[in-house]
Amino acid sequence: MMDFRIEQWRAWAPGLDTDEAWQAWAKHPVIVPDDDAQPTCDFLPAMQRRRLSRLARMTLHVAWPLCGEHEQLPLVFASRHGETPRTFALLSEVADEQPLSPTQFGLSVHNAIAGQWSILRGQRGESVAIAGEADTFEHAMVEAAALLGEGVPAVLVVIAEERPPAAYDDWIDDVPFSYALALRVAGIESRAETRTNERWQLRLEPNRGDSAAGAWPHALDLVRALHARDGTLEHPWKTRRWIWQRIP
Amino acid sequence: MNALQQEIAQLIIDTLNLEDVTVDDIPPDQPLFGEGLGLDSVDALELALALQKRYDIRIASDSKDARQHFTTVATLAAFVQAQRDACAN
Repeated sequence: MMDFRIEQWRAWAPGLDTDEAWQAWAKHPVIVPDDDAQPTCDFLPAMQRRRLSRLARMTLHVAWPLCGEHEQLPLVFASRHGETPRTFALLSEVADEQPLSPTQFGLSVHNAIAGQWSILRGQRGESVAIAGEADTFEHAMVEAAALLGEGVPAVLVVIAEERPPAAYDDWIDDVPFSYALALRVAGIESRAETRTNERWQLRLEPNRGDSAAGAWPHALDLVRALHARDGTLEHPWKTRRWIWQRIP
Repeated sequence: MNALQQEIAQLIIDTLNLEDVTVDDIPPDQPLFGEGLGLDSVDALELALALQKRYDIRIASDSKDARQHFTTVATLAAFVQAQRDACAN
């Protein structure tokens, strides 16, 4: 059982980049067309953007404003599938017996984006990159809770997924469109005047098989709930049932 | 800037994904690495690969001359030209 506050959050998906757009999406969640659009990240000089993939841009775009200019924040980066377009491109080069791009190869690890964040934001603290199953998002929250338990005042959690190349269609069915969500998470007692609507509890219970998986990836379902001000969310996956509950 | 120099400047821009940079922003005698355009060692590897693919030339990675060839667009163009001439003979 974990108690925490979601102090700030920011989400991005193709065509969904404002509070109003997400508000409308939360009322009528639909699969938005993924047209390969990506955030510009023009808060960075062009020379620093040259090695940012689409998933990296999505991550930086949502995370950037949640970290203070002179602040050191631990980062939990989570992605179930990671950068499938990069992996696919590299594998295609291998299949064609072509030399691999040193840049692409060098960035083809799951913690590359966490590393880029660290370099670009001068973050010298802890960072974690995780991949799990459909409840990767909740596992990222477990990581964040563990960091908070060690006494850090706040943690940045980013979950980002990219629509995979068509070759993965038979295996990946839980990324309806590319999306990224950043949460700034703090301990429940870390500030006296807490806005009541930012306090949450997340707990894990066994899934007895009586609840089916929801229609949306868990992170998108949380975005929906944050807008709709829902009090409770249930995210079952295999033997696990994650329950998100607002604390009054 | 001659045609080959222009071509190489454009190859640098395309290969290294330099947004907002044009061929005119890379004068032939401007240093490419460190001070100057600001490229780094990973860019050097990437660029070497692109040059080998485009011009079908070999660049020995342990060659002492490689550093010289990669100094500016002008030195790269001279190197590519020399390789082409050598093949033609």
